[in-house]
Amino acid sequence: MCAIVDANVVHEVFGPEQPTAGRKFRNWIEQGSLRLVAGGKVLEELDAYGPFRTWRAIAMQTGKIRIVARERMDARMRKLQDSGSCTSDDEHVISLAQLSGARLLYSNDVALRDDFKKKVLLDRPRGKVYSTRTSPAFGSSHRRLLADSNLCRVP
Amino acid sequence: MDRITLRDYRCFHGEQSARLAPLTLLVGENSTGKTSFMAMIRALWDIAYREVVPDFKEEPYDLGSFDEIVHHRGARGGRADTFQAGFHAALDNESNHGFSFDVTFERRGTTPVPSRRHVKSDGKSITLTSAGDAVDMVVATSKRSWRRRLEIGAASSTDSFRLMPVSILISLFHHLRTAGANDRPGGDRAASRRMPKEDFDAIQEFLYDTELSQYGRPLIPPFASAPVRSKPRRTYDPARPARDPEGDYVPMYLADVYLQNKRAWSRLKERLEDFGRGAGLFDEISIKPLGSRQSDPFHVQVRKFAPGGRLKGPHRNLIDVGYGVSQVLPVITELLRTDAPSTFLLQQPEVHLHPSAQAALGSLFCEVAGAKDRLLVVETHSDHLLNRIRMDVRDGVGPLQPEDVSILYFERGALEVSIHSLRLDQEGNVLGAPPSYGHFFMAETERSLRF
Repeated sequence: MCAIVDANVVHEVFGPEQPTAGRKFRNWIEQGSLRLVAGGKVLEELDAYGPFRTWRAIAMQTGKIRIVARERMDARMRKLQDSGSCTSDDEHVISLAQLSGARLLYSNDVALRDDFKKKVLLDRPRGKVYSTRTSPAFGSSHRRLLADSNLCRVP
Repeated sequence: MDRITLRDYRCFHGEQSARLAPLTLLVGENSTGKTSFMAMIRALWDIAYREVVPDFKEEPYDLGSFDEIVHHRGARGGRADTFQAGFHAALDNESNHGFSFDVTFERRGTTPVPSRRHVKSDGKSITLTSAGDAVDMVVATSKRSWRRRLEIGAASSTDSFRLMPVSILISLFHHLRTAGANDRPGGDRAASRRMPKEDFDAIQEFLYDTELSQYGRPLIPPFASAPVRSKPRRTYDPARPARDPEGDYVPMYLADVYLQNKRAWSRLKERLEDFGRGAGLFDEISIKPLGSRQSDPFHVQVRKFAPGGRLKGPHRNLIDVGYGVSQVLPVITELLRTDAPSTFLLQQPEVHLHPSAQAALGSLFCEVAGAKDRLLVVETHSDHLLNRIRMDVRDGVGPLQPEDVSILYFERGALEVSIHSLRLDQEGNVLGAPPSYGHFFMAETERSLRF
C-alpha cells in the first residue's frame, strides 16, 4: 500500500516530537507494508524539512519510498490546473496520487482533504485521509486506514 | 538463465523462485543461503551444459555431503529425501519463448546425484529418470508422447552414465530397438513403435535451441570467485595461468598477456587503469620482469598520480599497497579479460575496499553486465555498491536498463529462508521490498535522527 505525506504534517511523521498517530504512521512504513510515494513539487516541499531528507536517502535504498519522475508530475499538474477541477491549490498532491496510485493521504489541510476525496479526481479506489486535525492520538480510524491494503491502485 | 527454482535445498524449504537478470545481486544477512544459491547455479550449469555430476565440494563452495545439502528442519521436521533445482532460460532474444530445466537430486552414498532431469518448452518435453539400473525416458512433442526404458545394467550404471548427454539418450531412444533398449513394461502402445523422424527432428531442433545439444553450447564454465582472494606476493614465478577461485593465477595471467601479446596487454592495462582511477586505487599498473627470459620471475606494480596527472608517484609492489588492490585485482581482471566467461558468480567482491572503490566496482558491474549474454551474480553486503548500481541504472550511465537488474533478498524466517525478487524502475526506486528489507539501516537512521 502506498501513501502520500503532505508537507504541512511532515514534522509529525519525521520530526523529533511526533504525535502518536504520526509515529505509528512512520512505523507502518518502516516495519509494515506501507510505502511512501513522492515526486515533483511534493518531494521538493518535503525535502525542505531536513530530517525527512536524511530519512529519504536510506528509504530510497531500502524500497520504503517510491519517487515519481518530475516531468510526469509537472505535466499532470499543469493538466489539472488547466481543468480547474481542484478546489485547493494542491494539484501537485492530486497529481502524485493519480500517477502513483496512492490513495492514502496524511494531511491536516481541509481543502486538500475535500479534493482528495472527490470521485472525479481519484477513483477505484477512492482517496482517504489520515489526519491529526481533531486529535493527535492514534485512534481506531487511523488503525483502519493503515490496515487497509486496498488503498493503492498499483500493488 | 533468467529464473532459478529451488526446493528442499539447504535452508530453502518448499519451492523458492528467484528472477535472474544480467546483473543479479544477492543480499541478506549472513547464513541465509546466498552462497548455496550460487553453488546451485554452478551445479545446474554443470548438469545442463557439461553433463557431469556436480561436485558440491568443489572450490569455492564446500556444501558438504547429501545430509548437509538437503533441507533439514530439525528433529521434528526431519530431513527431506530429495531436493530439486531448476532454471528457466530464454530460447532466443527475439521472443518471450523459453524452456525450463529441472533436476531432482537423490542420495547415492553420501553424495547427491541427479536422479531425474526434465527439460520442457512449449509443446515439447524430455524426462529422464533413473530407475535402478535403467533410465526411463519420456519424450513428448506437441503431437505425441513416447516412452521407453533403457536398461543399462549394473556395471554401467555409473554416475557418468546417469548424466549421459540428453542428445545421445534421445538418439538411443530413437534408434535402439534391441541390445539393451527395451520398451517399458506395461507401457503404452506408442512405446512399441519407432519414433517418427518428424518427431525426432523436432526434439533435436529443440535441444539445439536450448543449447543442451552437443552443438552451440557455452564453452567457458562460470567463473566462481572465493570471498577471500589469495595474498599478494613480492615476486611471482611464471606458471600456467589456469583459473582458480582465489585468483592465484591472476599475476601469472597478467604477465602472460604482457609477454605474449602487447596489443592485448595495452587494452587490458587501459581498462584496469580506468577502474583503478575511478576507484582511487591506482593510476597505472605494470609488470616488471626481473630478467630477460620469459621464464624469469616478475613483479606486479602499481602507482598513483597526483591530481591532474603531472606528478607521478613511485612504482610500488602489489604487496606494498593497500590489501584492497590485491583483493580486487582478480575480480576485475576476470571481468575485463577478452576471453571472459558469460557467467560470473562473485562472492563479496567488495572486501577490503574503501566505500568509493566499492561504488566504482558497482559501475564496473553495470558496464560488464551490459554486454551481450552476460550473467553476473554478485553476493554483496555493500550498500555503496548496490546504491551505485541503482543510480547508474537510473541515470542511464552505461547500457543497463532497470529490468536488467535483479536484487534477490534472502530473508530468514523461523526455520527457513525465503527469496524475494526485487526490481528497480526508471527512477531508481526499489520495488517489491518486503518490510524487513533494509530494516537494520532504517533503524540506524532512526537512531541517528533521534526519532
